Amino acid sequence: MSAISAVGLRKTYVGGDGEVDAVRGVDLDVAEGEVFGFLGPNGAGKSTTVRMLTTLMTMTGGSAFVAGVDIAADPHGARRKIGVALQEAGLDPRQTGREILTLQARLFGMSSTEASERAQELLVLVELLDAADRRVKGYSGGMKRRLDLASALVHRPEVLFLDEPTTGLDPASRLTVWDEVRRINRLGTTVFLTTQYLEEADQLCNRLAIIDGGRIVRERTPASLKQDLRDRAGLSTDPTLDDVFLDATGRTRDKVAGEVKEI
Amino acid sequence: MTITTHAAPDSRPMSATGSTNAARDSLILGGRAIREAIRTPDSLFPTILIPLFFLVVNVGQAARIFPADGTSFLQGQNYGAFQLPASLLLSASFGGAALYLVEEIEGGYFDKLRATPISRMALVLGRLYAEFVKTMVVGTVMVVLALLFGIRVESGFLGFLVLVVMVSLWAMVFSGFMQLIAVKTRSAAATQGASMVFFPLLFLTPNFVPRDQLTRPMEVAATINPVTYVMEGARSLILDGFDGPSLVKAFAVVAVAMAAMLALSIKMVNSYD
Repeated sequence: MSAISAVGLRKTYVGGDGEVDAVRGVDLDVAEGEVFGFLGPNGAGKSTTVRMLTTLMTMTGGSAFVAGVDIAADPHGARRKIGVALQEAGLDPRQTGREILTLQARLFGMSSTEASERAQELLVLVELLDAADRRVKGYSGGMKRRLDLASALVHRPEVLFLDEPTTGLDPASRLTVWDEVRRINRLGTTVFLTTQYLEEADQLCNRLAIIDGGRIVRERTPASLKQDLRDRAGLSTDPTLDDVFLDATGRTRDKVAGEVKEI
Repeated sequence: MTITTHAAPDSRPMSATGSTNAARDSLILGGRAIREAIRTPDSLFPTILIPLFFLVVNVGQAARIFPADGTSFLQGQNYGAFQLPASLLLSASFGGAALYLVEEIEGGYFDKLRATPISRMALVLGRLYAEFVKTMVVGTVMVVLALLFGIRVESGFLGFLVLVVMVSLWAMVFSGFMQLIAVKTRSAAATQGASMVFFPLLFLTPNFVPRDQLTRPMEVAATINPVTYVMEGARSLILDGFDGPSLVKAFAVVAVAMAAMLALSIKMVNSYD
């Protein structure tokens, strides 16, 4: 069974300037246990796709199953099986790290005792035990991101969605998050990761898709994407994933420097 | 310590099926909002101080016009007793919950909550429950202060409880409508601005004199304004004792407004993208 499968996923916004097709028929098939990367320039439709797959946004068209649950027909059922860490580390700054994790666990149906135990377990996992009883507003960006990750794991999700989990983090914090993602995946959780950092995708993902203009323009393993470009372009050395990205999206390095690498 | 992140069906949280319980989820989220209020006392001070300021100023300006011994509608009490319900309703009309909600929407925590399998109703009711508790505390403080200045609650201790509960339920209604605007606009400025739309309703009431002593246009405006009936119900508890018809009208207005607010809120949260 696929961990995520989507067919013809579409999202159309109606704004002041008329209709905007943010996602135009995306098909996805992510196997259980994979780390699947979802890349694309700003405004390509990455976050919109994630928001639809995580039941945070309605679909205009198509269908999607996550962890075997039809997200349109049973969003509540899907929420029990997925963990979500969005672009902004969605945390309540007035609560402590421990309180946030305990609350999250309670919202997934655990008793007070179960929730406290699970919070303690996760605080150890993400190495935030020392800061557990401090309010989140005093946390660094990296600490917030790790806490957000922990809060997405309270209910032991089958599929974890990470929307740009390292955007804005310093290199050391980024490496810590990468380690966490690998560890989570080793324990059996499927990870769906969007990122603007191509090195991140190269390091973490078994397979990846590149979306541009609301459509998937490439989908394979990082190695085969590079090999494909090398063969097509007749290159003498292996291209980087940056080259693959530029080729797939038809962008130039100058333009991408502004669009893709900004923090 | 072994930590698993991928659960077999039998290792799911044991009470996961209970998480659709709106009341349980609301209490959990309400508890968080109460903790938040305790940690930000500066946000509570205006809800006490501003209404008390208006109470003192209004009584100071009009008490000599309406002396206790020569004004029949005061039932022998001082003018502060007549003004107290207006101040209580003012303290219930700050809608602080909505501003915290906007902050949560902007910060992404609202989405985090939406991604959990909790009742959509709880997303609305959690903060409103906290608003109820906060107004119970603030209302009690205000009435106790009023008692110290010689105002009596004619309906006794039970009436005092009914009064504070009525005002607290109204605070839920008002905050609920403000939350609706917060969810719709996702903007702190728009939400704060919208309170200016609701605020005049508090003054198109028999605020200074009974309804039958208002000018004709004001009397018509007050009669069609639902806040009037909540104010008159609260006032009856202070001045008259238990006046059945006034209380029935007051609670009927609260109930209808609450039902409308909840229906609109659920619709809004369900269609929130």
